[in-house]
Amino acid sequence: MNPYISVENLSVKYGNDQVLHDVNFQTDKGEFIAIVGKSGSGKTSFLNALANLIPFSGTVKLPGAIGVIFQQYAVYPWLTVAENIEFGLNKVPASERKNIVEKHLQLSHMADKKDKYPAELSGGQVQRVALARCMANNPELLLMDEPYGALDSYTRDKMQEWLLEVWSAMRKTIIFVTHNIEEAIFLADRVLVLEEGKFVQDIKVPFARPRKAEIKFTPEFNELRKQISTFLN
Amino acid sequence: MSKKATGVIVVVAIILLWEAVSLSGVVNNSLFPAPSQVAAAGWQLLLSGVVKDIAVSMSRLLVGLIVGTVIGIAIGLLTGRSKTAAGILSPIIQLLRPLPPVAIIPLIIVWFGIGNGAKVFSIAFAVFFPVWINTHIGSKMIPKIYIWTGRLLTKSWFKKATKVIFPASLPFIVVGVRSGIALAFIMVFVSELAGASIGLGYRISIAHLAYRIDEMIFALALLAILGALTDYLFSVAVRRIFPWLKFKTI
Repeated sequence: MNPYISVENLSVKYGNDQVLHDVNFQTDKGEFIAIVGKSGSGKTSFLNALANLIPFSGTVKLPGAIGVIFQQYAVYPWLTVAENIEFGLNKVPASERKNIVEKHLQLSHMADKKDKYPAELSGGQVQRVALARCMANNPELLLMDEPYGALDSYTRDKMQEWLLEVWSAMRKTIIFVTHNIEEAIFLADRVLVLEEGKFVQDIKVPFARPRKAEIKFTPEFNELRKQISTFLN
Repeated sequence: MSKKATGVIVVVAIILLWEAVSLSGVVNNSLFPAPSQVAAAGWQLLLSGVVKDIAVSMSRLLVGLIVGTVIGIAIGLLTGRSKTAAGILSPIIQLLRPLPPVAIIPLIIVWFGIGNGAKVFSIAFAVFFPVWINTHIGSKMIPKIYIWTGRLLTKSWFKKATKVIFPASLPFIVVGVRSGIALAFIMVFVSELAGASIGLGYRISIAHLAYRIDEMIFALALLAILGALTDYLFSVAVRRIFPWLKFKTI
């Protein structure tokens, strides 16, 4: 069977600085992939190349529409919550558009804040709007670049649980970049370790779904965390 | 005490001090008329139809301001976002930008005469540069993630221009237009001084010829008040139309 997403010999260069070296990668439909790596290992460049936002060499085969969520500037500050969610619904008839926005306002628990501007929201709420905007466009693949990197640990934990809820309901393929090993294990089916522009490990996460935050305190979880940490160091 | 009350008290105190100094005989009263004399001269001007001068000056100013702003924003967005457009247009704009706008007035009079068109042109010319440079810089400085998000979510260049690039540049554009408003007032005054048969600048030149310092001061005060009012109304309108700007420093 052909892989849902396939990347062959992907390389990215910024001037003379090569940040990705002939990277190969495959994933099946509906998989949740986490990519971990140190700063400068090429995580963000990998996502940006997949989204065709930066020049690259190699072959990238993607399923269709993709959504991207960035850590910073995730939503437009000049649009309200509802307008942000509606932004990409260009070809949808106006009546249907309203229903889609309503549905994603509910899913993101932002219905009571639909007329607020991003500056009036907390960091976690902004990231919920960003995900709602992506999901409203019904992408086949979701690329998330350290979306919770700027959040406090309590909000981050809540956002991780909420993301898993949304993912379970919609079963989109997600590639999630993070430098937080615990976050990667908790969320993903597979954790890929990126080092100096190459994937050096591909680790299957053995925990059953649905997952609860309590698994983070089990010896198995801790063992896996140590294992990945060793690869990173 | 509120800031507004403090401001009013300061203005009233200055006027009272001015009145006292002017009437005390310390300075020449005909060169430095008291506020009460300026007010009386102003009342006479109002009775003799200065409102029409105000209307004409303001209409020239507003048309020039709008023309200069629209062209400044359009070209600023173009040069800010397109390297080709910047390569073609920026050198000539940068060459003209250091020119003091009042220096072109004699040439404008030769080319277009002293009618409204000439005045509107010189005001628009002056307004264009601060609006252009601010829009140009603002649109160049848009975080690339805003642009990328727009590219991922819509294929329409019109939507990207109006819903991403324009609002993302807006805090800079507002600064440019506010500088433009101040320049527009300078230009309407100077262009009417240089040749006009109606307008506040014309009134001041007539008062100057008649050595009516009180009328000159009244007309200048009117210009100052109109300038401050225009800037205030612009700020209010911007915050009404773009309420999200209140979360930004502009």
